[in-house]
Amino acid sequence: MRGLAAHSNGFHSIRSLSILMSILGTIDRPGGFRHKAPFPRPIPPCAKTPTGPEGVQPNTPLAGMPLGWPADPDDLFVDEQGEPVRIDKAFSWEHPLAVHGLMHNVITNAWRGDPYKIDTLMIFMANMAWNSSMNTVDVRQMLNDKDENGEFKIPFLVVCDAFQSEMVAFADLVLPDTTYLERHDVMSMLDRPISEYDGPVDSVRVPVVPPKGECKPFQEVLIELGTRLKLPAFTHEDGSRKFRDYPDFVINYETAPGSGIGFLAGWRGKGGEKFMKGEPNPSQWELYEKNNCVFHYELPRSYQYMRNWNQGYLRWAQDHSLTRYAEPINIHIYSEVLQKFRLAAQGRTPGGRVPPERLRKRVDTYFDPLPFYYEPLEAQYSDKHRYPLNALTQRPMAMYHSWDSQNAWLRQIHTYNYLYVNAQTAQAAGIVDGGWMWAESQWGKVRCLCRYSQAVEPGTVWTWNAVGKAAGAWGLSPQANESQQGFLLNHLISEELPAHSAGEHISNSDPVTGQAGWYDVRVRIYPTDAEEPEVSSPQFEPLQPVPGQSKRPSWLAWFAGGKKGHR
Amino acid sequence: MTQLALVIDLNVCVGCHACVTSCKQWNTSGPAGYMSDDNPYDKDPTGTFFNRVQTFEVGDYPNTETVHFPKSCLHCEDPPCVPVCPTGASYKRESDGIVLVDYDKCIGCKYCSWACPYGMREIDEHQKVMKKCTLCVDRIYDTSLPEAERKPACVMACPTNARLFGDVHDPESEVSLAIRERGGYPLMPEWGTKPANHYLPRRKTRITIHEDELIRADNPLKKERKQAPHTIEGPTLDDSTMW
Repeated sequence: MRGLAAHSNGFHSIRSLSILMSILGTIDRPGGFRHKAPFPRPIPPCAKTPTGPEGVQPNTPLAGMPLGWPADPDDLFVDEQGEPVRIDKAFSWEHPLAVHGLMHNVITNAWRGDPYKIDTLMIFMANMAWNSSMNTVDVRQMLNDKDENGEFKIPFLVVCDAFQSEMVAFADLVLPDTTYLERHDVMSMLDRPISEYDGPVDSVRVPVVPPKGECKPFQEVLIELGTRLKLPAFTHEDGSRKFRDYPDFVINYETAPGSGIGFLAGWRGKGGEKFMKGEPNPSQWELYEKNNCVFHYELPRSYQYMRNWNQGYLRWAQDHSLTRYAEPINIHIYSEVLQKFRLAAQGRTPGGRVPPERLRKRVDTYFDPLPFYYEPLEAQYSDKHRYPLNALTQRPMAMYHSWDSQNAWLRQIHTYNYLYVNAQTAQAAGIVDGGWMWAESQWGKVRCLCRYSQAVEPGTVWTWNAVGKAAGAWGLSPQANESQQGFLLNHLISEELPAHSAGEHISNSDPVTGQAGWYDVRVRIYPTDAEEPEVSSPQFEPLQPVPGQSKRPSWLAWFAGGKKGHR
Repeated sequence: MTQLALVIDLNVCVGCHACVTSCKQWNTSGPAGYMSDDNPYDKDPTGTFFNRVQTFEVGDYPNTETVHFPKSCLHCEDPPCVPVCPTGASYKRESDGIVLVDYDKCIGCKYCSWACPYGMREIDEHQKVMKKCTLCVDRIYDTSLPEAERKPACVMACPTNARLFGDVHDPESEVSLAIRERGGYPLMPEWGTKPANHYLPRRKTRITIHEDELIRADNPLKKERKQAPHTIEGPTLDDSTMW
C-alpha cells in the first residue's frame, strides 16, 4: 500500500479525504470518486474472522474467514486476556481493523515466538528477505537465527517464486513458480476485480507458453495441498478429490454449495447465459478466451452514478447477489464502528471486551469517531533534530508490477538508484550532485549516490524502491550495478516502534488498520569520507549460482520470440 | 505527398516507458534484425533501442516540473543523415516520407549518426549496421492486422494516448489538427531539417467557477414513491469478500 495510506496516521488521513469528498458531494458523481463493482458495500454486515483461540483447532478448518471486517470488539480475534491470536497480531487490540493482515511483522513475531512459535513459514511471491521487509538486515538474520538448543527459530521455510530472489536463497524448500505467461489466473469478483466505473469487469489469464522445467503454478500447489489435507472446500464428503486442477477449481468452486457465486462473473449457467450468479459452466474458460479474457457488463446509464443511494442500482446489485440488502449505503461521517472500540477502551461497555491495560490509551486516542491529524507514530518517538528529513520511496513506472525488473531491457531503464535530495538541502549537508553520501535513521544507515532534485521539497528525500538488489540475486552478476551502486531504503525502516507505553514490540503501523508505516522514517544525511569505497552499503555475501542455473550470456539477441544464443 | 509522423503530447506523457519496451519487443523481431543487448545481466548493461525516454526537471523548487521526453527518429523532411551516406543505405521514402536504412548497403561508417543533430541513430555493435525507428513500417501496411492495429507499436502501447500517428501533410488528419490546434512544434527547427515528428507542449489546466454555478437550481430533493421491501434467498458476496 502506497501514498497517503502508507503512514501510521494513514487511516485518519484517508478518512478525512473521504469525508471531504462526501461533504463536497463528489462520491460517485461525474468527475468525482466513482465506484467500481462490487462497491459500494455496506459496513457492516461483512465477513468475519474467528473471534478467539478456539476458532483454530488442529485438523479442523478455520472457524471463519482468514481476513475479515471487525465492526465491534466482539469481532476481534483475541484470547481471554485480549491478546492476539494470529501470528501477525491482526484483528487484535493492537491493530483492530487490520483487514489486510500485517505481513510485515510475521517473520519478527515468529522469530520471537510472540504470540507463538511456528514450525513452517510458507512464502509466495513476497521478497521478505529484501524489499518487502522493513529492517531487512535484521530480518535476514532472524531467518537464519537459532535458539539456545541450536535449532532454527524458523525451522522450515518454503518459498514459492519464479525467480532466484533474495528470499529464495533462505528457503529450505523452493517451489519453482511459473510466470503469468505460463498459467491460468483470475482477477475475480471475490477478490480484486478490474471493474470499470460503468459496471463489473473481471478477467483471466490463460497460458501462452508451456511452463519451463519443473515449474508449477502456485495455485496448483495450493489445490493439491488442500486436497491432500482433505480440507472441506477441496474434498467431497467421502474425502475424495473435488477439483482436478486450478482451472477446474475456478469453474466449479461456489462460495456455498449451490450459491451460484464463484470466481468468475461472466458466462455462468450451464450454457453461459447468466452472469454474476448462476450454476458453474464447464465452458467458462473457453468463453473468456473467446472474449479477450475479459467479462464486462455495462450497467444502464441510470445505474452508473450515486450508487450508494441509487435504488435501481441497489435493486440490481441485490438481484445479482452483490449485496444482501437494497438499502441505501450511508457514508459514516461519524463512525459508530470506531466509537464502539473507543467506548470499550474507556471501560464504558459493561461486560464487553476491553483492551489490555497498556493499550487502553492507544485505542481511546486513535478510535476517534471523527478523523483527526496526528504526527506519524515513529516521528512521535524520534529525535527530529537529529533526524530532520522524511525519507520515502516510490516504484518506477517502467517496473510497476514487474516481478522480474532484473530483465535485460528493464534493467537498462533503471540500472541503479540515487537518493533524490533537494539541491539546497544537499548543498547544506556538503553533498555533491552524483556523489556518495550516507542516509542514516535511528535504525541503520545506507551509503548511496545522491542526485540533486528541484522536484522534491527540501524536508524530504526519496528513491526508487526495489531497484537495488543483493549481489548475485535474481541471476545477475555479483558486479551488477543494482547491488554495487543500487541500494534499499528498507535498511533504514523498522518494523517495530521504539518501546513505549503501549508495548515493547508494537508494529510500526497504523494503530487502527495495521497498515505498514513505510513512509514514516526520519533520516539525516551527510557526505562520505574521501577514503571510503565507492560502493553502496550495506553489502551482503554474494549469492552463489545454484545447480542448473543458466550461464549469463555476454550479449543477447532476441528474435521472433526465440533467443539466438551467444557467448 | 504523404509524410507519416508521430505527434507526442508532453502534457500527458507520464514516463512509463511502455513505448520503449513495446518498440523493442516489436522491432527486435523485425526487418532490422535483432536489437542486441550487451552485458544483459552484468555490470553496465547497454543495448540498442529505437525509442528512449529522457526525464528532466524544469524550474526551481517549488515551481518545478518533471518532463518526460520520448525521443526517436523524427523522420525529417530534409534529413541530414541521408546525403552523407556513402553507400546510399540511408534513404527517405518518396511514398510516405519514412526515413529508413537499407541494411544490405549499410557499412556501419556512422556518418549518419554524426550528421543527425538529434542523436537518434543507434549503431548495432554486433551486426555493425546503423539502426533507427522505422515507424514500424512492417506493421502499418500489414493488411493481415486489423486496421486499428496498423500503427507503430509505441502508439498501440501508450496508456495515456500521448502518441498520435498519421500524415502531417494531410491538413485534416488527427496529427495535423493536433499540431495546428494544440501548439505542436518540431525540435530545433533552426537546423532546417524540418522534422516530421512534432511535440505538443505542456499546458496549465485551470478551471473557472462562477458563483452562480455553486447553487443548484434543480435540487432533486423530493418525495419518491415508496416501494415494497424486497428480499432475496441464499448467499451473497457479503458472506465471502474479505478485502
